[in-house]
This record gives sequence, C-alpha cells and structure tokens, in this order.
Amino acid sequence: MDPALFITPTSSAPPPLWAQATAEIPFTFELLTNNLILGAALMALGLLGFLSRRNLIVMFLSAEMMLQGTALTLVGFGRYHGNWTGIIFTIVILTVAACEAALALALILVLFKRRNTLDPSAWHSLREPGLPPLIDSPEQAEPLTPTPGPESYPQLTPAGIEPPHPLQPWEVRRG
Amino acid sequence: MTIPIEAALAVAIPLLGLGTFLLLPHAHPRAKPRRVHLAGAGLAAVGLAALMLTLARPAEWLIATFFYAFALIALAGGLLTITHRDPVFNALCFALVLLATSALFLLVDAQFLAAGTVIVYAGAIVVTFLFVIMLAQAEGQALYDRMTRAPRLTTLASFLLLATLAYSVALVRGAERPLLKPQEYPSATGEATFAFKPSEIETRLVKASDLAGRAARSGDEPLRQVVRMALAPTASTAPAQLGDPARGLPPPHVASLGGSLYTEHLLTVELAGVLLFVALVGAASIAAPRPPQPLLRDTQTAPTPHLYP
Repeated sequence: MDPALFITPTSSAPPPLWAQATAEIPFTFELLTNNLILGAALMALGLLGFLSRRNLIVMFLSAEMMLQGTALTLVGFGRYHGNWTGIIFTIVILTVAACEAALALALILVLFKRRNTLDPSAWHSLREPGLPPLIDSPEQAEPLTPTPGPESYPQLTPAGIEPPHPLQPWEVRRG
Repeated sequence: MTIPIEAALAVAIPLLGLGTFLLLPHAHPRAKPRRVHLAGAGLAAVGLAALMLTLARPAEWLIATFFYAFALIALAGGLLTITHRDPVFNALCFALVLLATSALFLLVDAQFLAAGTVIVYAGAIVVTFLFVIMLAQAEGQALYDRMTRAPRLTTLASFLLLATLAYSVALVRGAERPLLKPQEYPSATGEATFAFKPSEIETRLVKASDLAGRAARSGDEPLRQVVRMALAPTASTAPAQLGDPARGLPPPHVASLGGSLYTEHLLTVELAGVLLFVALVGAASIAAPRPPQPLLRDTQTAPTPHLYP
C-alpha cells in the first residue's frame, strides 16, 4: 500500500491538535480488558433476567442487554486492533437487534391477545408432551403491597353543565 | 492499583450475585420485603464498587472519570432492569443502560456507533414503552411480576458465567507482562535490545501497539514519533484526501467507516438488508389481525387454572 496516501505524522507541518491529543493516550491491553469485563457483566445480567423473569417484555429487554454486552466487547477489540471490523460487526448486531425487536413485539402482541397475560407460563402447552408440569405456586410471589390512599387523577378545569348527581371521589384503589 | 484483580473479583462477584438474588422479586418467608430489598441493594452496591476496582484506570483523569461513571451507570442500570417489579421502570432503566453504553462507545473511539445506538434504540425503547403502557398491569402488581422462576439456580448460573469470563480476562491481564526500561528501547541508531523473555500468553496475545503504548510514555522523541503512528486512532487510517489534517480538521471518521463498510464488507450490508426485509415480512404476517378462532383446544390444555381463573 502506498504510504503517501495515509496521514503520517512525519509531514513538515506539526501534527494537528486531535492527533496530539489522542496519540498520547494509547489503547493498551488493560483498557481492552476493561471493556471485556463490562461486556461480560452486562451479558451475565441479561442472561439472569432472561432466564428468571416471567414478563415477556422484561425478557425482551434482557435479550437486548445481552446484545449490548457483546457490542461493547466487539468495539473494544476493534479499537485494540486498530481496524473497523469491530464497529462493522456491531452495526450488524444493531440490525439483528432491530429485527429481533420487530418480531418479538409482534409475537408479544399476538400472545397477549390470545391469553390476556404477559406470563410465558401460560404457554406451557407448547412444550413437548410427557414433561412434568412446571407450575409455580403463588406462595413464591412477593406479597402484594397496597399503595395507601385513593386513586388520584389529574385535576381538570370543570367545563359545561354540572351533572345533577353529586360527584363521588373514587375511594377504592384498583389493581 | 495495588489490589490484585483476582482478589477484587473474588469479593465482587459473590457479593453482586447475593445482592441480585435478594433483589429479584420472590417471596422471603422469614423477612420483611423492605429489609430484604435494602440488604440486597447494599450488597449489590458493595459488589459493584468492588467490580469497579478490577477495571484498569485510564491514564487521563478526565477519561478515567467518565469511564468509571458510565461503567457504574451501565451496570447499576442493568441490575435495576432485571430486578425491578414495574415494567415501566424496567424500560426506563434499560434506556439508561443504552445511554451509558453509547458513552462507553465514545470513549473507545466509536463516535458513529454511539450516535447510531442512541438513534436506533431510542425508537425501540419508545415502542417498548408503548407496549408496556398498553399491556402491562399498573405498578408491577401482576402476579408474574412479583415472582421469578428458579431464582437460586439462575443467579448461580449467570454469575458463574460472569466469574468464568472475568477470571479468564484477569488471568491474561495478571500474566507477567514486561515493562520496558528506557535503555532497552530500540533506538534509531542501535539494534533493538528487548531484554525480556515473553511468556506463552504474551507471545499469543501481546500486540505491538500495546508495547508501544508503554514506550510512548518515555522521553525518547524519535521513538515517540514512530510510536505515534502505531497509536493513532482508527480514524487516521483513512486515506489522506478524505480529510484535511494539516488545517486541524477532525478525522474523517464516518467517511473511512463507510469506505470500509462498502468495500470490504459489502456482502454483509446486503445480508443485513435481506435480514431486515425478512423480519419485516415476518412481523407483518405474525401481527396481522385474523378472525377470532374458537379457543376449544386452549381451554382444554390450559396448564395453570388456579393462576388464570
């Protein structure tokens, strides 16, 4: 390759400010391992969320978090080796994440329409036959903590004719 | 940093795992939920701080400050994403993780990717948020939001994965890495005299720019001139006519990224386009409204009748 095509610091002009600023900060192996540890931690947290949580939307977010950990690792490797491959691989990951988001949200919508719940346990009938039932008892759930006080709604300016009956505030909290 | 990385990891990962286990939503029969959450948050905070100690400190104090801040935000946001009961809060915390990750992308010289992540995921997060508001019950009071499946086993498995990955990284970093002394540099006149014996890991993993990074901190001016080329950021590998570095213009980051993307990785771009199209067709065919079908088979095989009356 012709070296004249590339920016070399040996030209007569002094190196520009950005080159001076960045050339003094080498991306050493220790800085690469920082990215590797952070990516591994995000990956492990996403794995934990995907395996243990029982909300389809939270499972989807956990899968996206695993992809983020991988992207952090790839970008670190690309910077360490000084080429664009890590960034390009991460752009492909972005594409895959977008496709996954579209498909997962469409699936969540369809599944919610059918069973009226976001719980993946409602779809145990899709497993292969002969497996033991995997039913969690409701005692394992955290106790319900009711929020005190009546439900509050935004105050709107009254308009129009007041209805004849007296307005009762909603005293019972739903949900 | 005088703390050995293995010791910091041995403290950090069990504490973080225990704290995460206590924070995950499930019943603890012998303790009040509030106390369990406080204990879990404290343990996880100590574990996160210990995990921060395992990270190598960047040389510049400003970069180090931003790096530690965004690393902490990313990990704490990830922890809250998987442990909080409210799906609205989960989505918000995941947005925090994304912002911190794109800031970390900026710190490793990936400006385009940082902007792209924010733009792409902003739309995804808004759509997810919409779904949460449409579908999820208010304030995380649904039964499935208050319980997890096999919390002990899953916590053990995922933090075993983290321990394995982090320990393998620590093993490589803690290996005997030679620190060059100034008189051992290859000078412009003399021969290269590297007075160290590279270990096995060293020969496999060390890179020229890594050793040169140590050399760049020396006072040898010709050596620094040589090293500056090796240490220049990725953007400076672009052809010179794309930018004007003589006038101090910024490096043509996106231009050279696009050049690499559309020459070396053209097939990748085409495959990504095909993937997007297939996903579009699939999502449209999955979510298309259909006439309601009789739910005879569903009612026969409903597995959890006491959960779904």
